[in-house]
Amino acid sequence: MVRSAEKPASRRVIVERYTWLERVTHLVHLISMLILLITGFKIYFGWGFMSFQIARTLHTIAVPFFLVANWILVPYNLFSCKEERCSVRDRIVHFKDSYVFGKGDAERLVDIFKNFFGKGRYPAFTIYDERKGHYVTKLHPVLKILIVIESIAIVLVAITGIVLYNLNWAPFGIPIAAWILSITWYFASFFNANALGVLRLLHLLAAYWFVFEFVIHVGILELDPDAWKYHKAIFWSGNEDLSDRHFVKVIEEGDQKGAVKEH
Amino acid sequence: MFTKQAVRDYDSLLISWVPILYISIYKITYYCGGSRTSDDSLLEKFKNLDFVKMDRRTFIKAVGVLGASLFLQTYKSDIAKALQLSETKVVWLHGVMDSGCTISMLDGGSPDIVEFLRVYNLKLLYHEVLMMQQGIFVDGKLANTSELNSEILLDEIMEREKGYVLVSEGAVANGPQGSGKYLMLGGRPYKEIYEKVAKNASVIVAIGQCATNSGVNAAKSDIAELMDPRGIAFTMEDSSKGIAELLGINTPVINIGGCPAHPDWVFLTIGAVVLGKIKVPDDLPYVLDQWKRPKVFFPPDHVVHDNCPRRGYYDRGEFDLTVGGEKCLWKLGCKGPYSHADCGTRRWNGHLNLCPMAGSPCISCVEPGFPDSSRPFFVEIEKTGIVGTDIGTVAGVAIGGALLAAGAHAVRRTVMKRPEDEEGFAGESTPEETGGEK
Repeated sequence: MVRSAEKPASRRVIVERYTWLERVTHLVHLISMLILLITGFKIYFGWGFMSFQIARTLHTIAVPFFLVANWILVPYNLFSCKEERCSVRDRIVHFKDSYVFGKGDAERLVDIFKNFFGKGRYPAFTIYDERKGHYVTKLHPVLKILIVIESIAIVLVAITGIVLYNLNWAPFGIPIAAWILSITWYFASFFNANALGVLRLLHLLAAYWFVFEFVIHVGILELDPDAWKYHKAIFWSGNEDLSDRHFVKVIEEGDQKGAVKEH
Repeated sequence: MFTKQAVRDYDSLLISWVPILYISIYKITYYCGGSRTSDDSLLEKFKNLDFVKMDRRTFIKAVGVLGASLFLQTYKSDIAKALQLSETKVVWLHGVMDSGCTISMLDGGSPDIVEFLRVYNLKLLYHEVLMMQQGIFVDGKLANTSELNSEILLDEIMEREKGYVLVSEGAVANGPQGSGKYLMLGGRPYKEIYEKVAKNASVIVAIGQCATNSGVNAAKSDIAELMDPRGIAFTMEDSSKGIAELLGINTPVINIGGCPAHPDWVFLTIGAVVLGKIKVPDDLPYVLDQWKRPKVFFPPDHVVHDNCPRRGYYDRGEFDLTVGGEKCLWKLGCKGPYSHADCGTRRWNGHLNLCPMAGSPCISCVEPGFPDSSRPFFVEIEKTGIVGTDIGTVAGVAIGGALLAAGAHAVRRTVMKRPEDEEGFAGESTPEETGGEK
């Protein structure tokens, strides 16, 4: 149940949690990843519901969407300028605060586990600073961990995918696939394994990681009626009502600096 | 000899056909992976080319597409002309091996090994399996002439001959403790003999996996370290452990992998070297891959899986789960997707058959880490993992665990929700205190 809907309009405190581009990025990422997973596992397991050619075609079509979302839109969203906060330093601080798992996140994570077993309150992972007019931190600590591993998995799945797509992939004559294979041979030799085999294995491993992450992300983070407001925010409105204090803490005009650190 | 008119005709023929030929071969090898369906028309085109003037690139492509038999049929008279004056000497040594490659060469039907030697004008100086004169006794005493005693023959070759082609079959034993005494030949370590013969050769053609990468000899076992069998340029994937590196042999090496090697691969490679179509060592960086294998037979850009006759079943997702079926053998551990060889188009046993056609998954016998990198032969590589882990099981447990955790979490946050949790959300201040809408 989205609690903010119960309140009269005058009591709401609406702020923008996700820009429209962030919502689009999330959606493109979601859809392309689902297509990649379903068609990829069809190819690997030989599921019967789709022909190999269609699966392979969809798989390759989804790749540029997936990579553009992650390697162009995400960095753009992170580092593009909004209003007056345009310096590089500000953007790096923003990136660090918003997406990097820090000490505060670790403490919140411990509190979340404690709360699960009935001890203490569920900590606020979204902290909004009213004085500055922007979020101090936004994401659930578990999500911050998932994002880092996911970024690594995306690089891994893309690099291995190049070789599986075309052993001879050489855009503009640059033999990228051959380089990847050579580097893989160097490491594969230590295990006395075949480089192509290792690449397929890593591709599969990354795919399993995405499934695992999907289950955690959707299952654990979102299967809580109090968190449903974030579904609406990420998929549709982009806004958050700060008057709904589930998972939210607001540093208000009168607060002393450093009040956040009470958590 | 050619008249001037004939030469002009050949030239114009070359000029007109070569671009078409290139495009055709490119299309065929790229789109069909060298499918046999277009061989007839291609053969016609090749027939119109002058073999003697054919450059290396065209030669390599012709070899790749036609196979040894068609190649020789097409160019037999040209080759004979080209070789009228030259005779090339060949020394064929056997190290730690089972002579399987020699048997494979003897099974080469068209050309057979005798025809191969004759057509390319080769003089086989030494070959232990084919020679008949070993250890012959005359009047109760071991005959000590090179005609009747192969040990003396080998001594003479080592003393007198130089610049021959060394066909190297089998690994070189380096154990125990670097003495090489685990393989003796006429009372001497084979390692010492090999060093002398290899240093005097103009080129070493290592045939079969034992010679190229030490193969089965170097597979993990209790005695592998003690025996210390070395490939010629590599031991498994490691070039620093090849016998050439150890003994300081600088003779160029061409590797023809496989367990055994295909007669086409060997005959055509030696033929190309003998005819000067592949100039040693100048051309080697262009025609060999990182494992020193001719790219035309071990194409870096394509694998056995690409041209497997069972490929259609793979595309439809139909897999055999027990042996004896007709479908794709991937789930039975087929290593076709990882193996760079032209088996699928060239085929074996007189160009008719292929391991997967005979019901066996490909075991990747051409790859440098064979057999360890292919084992277990009948388990798919994703199931074995690289350090003995089964990725599928690990992922299944992890994802199953995540599902259970998500379920527990959902129950905790809904059904088991208590009033104190409800209070527990982080807002210390009430909505009224936070002010109005922004």
